[in-house]
Amino acid sequence: MKRNIIEIKNLYKIYGDGEEVNVTALNNVSLNIKEGEFIAIMGSSGSGKSTLMNILGFLDLPTSGTYILDNTEASSMGHDEMAEIRNKKIGFVFQGFNLLSRTSALENVELPLFYRGHVSSHEMREKAAELLGLVGLSGREHHHPNKLSGGQQQRVAIARALVNDPSIILADEPTGNLDTVNTEDVMNMFSRLNKELGITIILVTHEPDVAEFTDRKIIFRDGEIVEDSPVRKKKKKS
Amino acid sequence: MNLRNAFITALRALSRNKMRSALTSIGIIIGISSVIIMVGIGNSARIAVKKRIYTAGANAITIYDSQKPLTMRNLEDIKRMFTQIQYITPQIYKSKLLVKYKKREIVSRIYGVNNDFFKLKDWDVIYGRYFSDLDIASGNRVVVIGETVRTEIFGYVNPVGEIIQIDSIPFKVIGSLTELGQAFSGRDFDNLLVIPYTTAQVRIIGEKKFDEIITSTFSTEEVDSTTTSIRDYLRIKHSIPPGKPDDFRMETSKDKLKQADYIANVLRILLAFIASISLIVGGIGIMNIMLVSVSERTREIGIRMAIGAKRKDILTQFLIESITLSSAGGIIGITLGLLIYFLIVFFVNWPFLFSPLWVLISFLFASSVGIFFGYYPAKKASQLKPIDALRFE
Repeated sequence: MKRNIIEIKNLYKIYGDGEEVNVTALNNVSLNIKEGEFIAIMGSSGSGKSTLMNILGFLDLPTSGTYILDNTEASSMGHDEMAEIRNKKIGFVFQGFNLLSRTSALENVELPLFYRGHVSSHEMREKAAELLGLVGLSGREHHHPNKLSGGQQQRVAIARALVNDPSIILADEPTGNLDTVNTEDVMNMFSRLNKELGITIILVTHEPDVAEFTDRKIIFRDGEIVEDSPVRKKKKKS
Repeated sequence: MNLRNAFITALRALSRNKMRSALTSIGIIIGISSVIIMVGIGNSARIAVKKRIYTAGANAITIYDSQKPLTMRNLEDIKRMFTQIQYITPQIYKSKLLVKYKKREIVSRIYGVNNDFFKLKDWDVIYGRYFSDLDIASGNRVVVIGETVRTEIFGYVNPVGEIIQIDSIPFKVIGSLTELGQAFSGRDFDNLLVIPYTTAQVRIIGEKKFDEIITSTFSTEEVDSTTTSIRDYLRIKHSIPPGKPDDFRMETSKDKLKQADYIANVLRILLAFIASISLIVGGIGIMNIMLVSVSERTREIGIRMAIGAKRKDILTQFLIESITLSSAGGIIGITLGLLIYFLIVFFVNWPFLFSPLWVLISFLFASSVGIFFGYYPAKKASQLKPIDALRFE
């Protein structure tokens, strides 16, 4: 039996001043995620899925309830502690890639290691190059993002997310800006990382096709989980 | 994040915007180079003025007649009474005299003095000699000429032994002085004639009196006490009751130096003030660019925060960026300033004074401008919330 990498209990996120105009983004959410799972979180906009992702990613703190990531509880944390957890335990992949412009692929991938400290530039270089190889971008280390296709840029972002050996990868609509070919490309990459390296991946999407690639589907509506089910795989077209 | 990584990060960010970085530094470059130039010129001017004052004689005390004429009696009394006196000379002065030699002429001025005058001023003759005792005793019509007079009317001819007409009176040239240079006003120090005071009294002004008595002491320490003693002596000689003002005027080279120092200091403060304004303007330029940079790079800040940059990492990065801009500006400004300063003093023939202290102060000042004006934008960047910064379009 695999251990829980994420444990969420009675999580609330309420925006507002606490008096009148309050918006309950997350309403008593409880959820466990095991090591090595590949999960799609779905739901319309405003359903609370992005709020959950922010909390999962230590970009925001819940109003109440407990969230434990890899034995670390996120309550009353300071900015610096949250930054450290983001740096060490979480790899982010965004819809808009969020790579630094006019900066080579290699330097982009190295970036999280800069904030880690105690990593020599030689090690950084080596690790970044290795990961670029893993996502199939060997030979493009010195390309700037604007010289890469959307799919390639997203793969650079995935390499960046992996560079710190995170506990989980959080992908917020990673294929939102990609065409079908690149979408498939990126999703296959995620599948491989999940199946071959056992990396826990949580992605937010509203495309059912994308959710097809995952193993478990969680659907949000009005801040609550309305469905949590395994994904039945269609037969792959060949 | 360690400091080395912060430096790499900041330098990469700056090199991504080379043009902007260069333009931002220009404000500091101009500010620092003007500080260097102005302070340098201020110091050089001070030295140059000091030199000039010393050519009037180090440790010199000048007594000017104003109501009662100064006499040979006064001079001899002073010389006899005060053993600390090294040199003493009377001076009779007249300007706008027409000097003729063959067909050439020049308008010059004349000093009637004794041989102490040359020693006191530290003037040397390049050709010929000074006055002989006989020249002074008998009021001989002999003259030592300045460099300008020599070149203007003699050209390449050796002037010694030639006869020139000064206001139609023939004088024999016995010597010629080394070059003295120009005053700041453009007045030519070398356009002069020096004759024995006895000759001047008889031939030029026709009166047995002196315009000035110039004297000097052996040591600088004795200048003040000697001045007081001479004043007391003259007040008794002129029978001035206590409480009444002097009827003569005295000035020491120290007084002149003080005046010159005062003017130089005022000038320096003024120049430093102007230069500081340009530095502040440069600093505001940095702040402005850094603010623009922070809002333009909000998303970058968000990305950095998402992947683990702490607030102090962001603060450090932006501070290093602004300090780098201002320090680089400082270094270039110092180099440029020293170069321009060197060129200026080279052309006006003033001493070049390299002051490592001022270079260090300027550099530190430039860096602190970067810290001071970079802090607010950096603080603003570090206070951004990662979620908001990431969503920023």
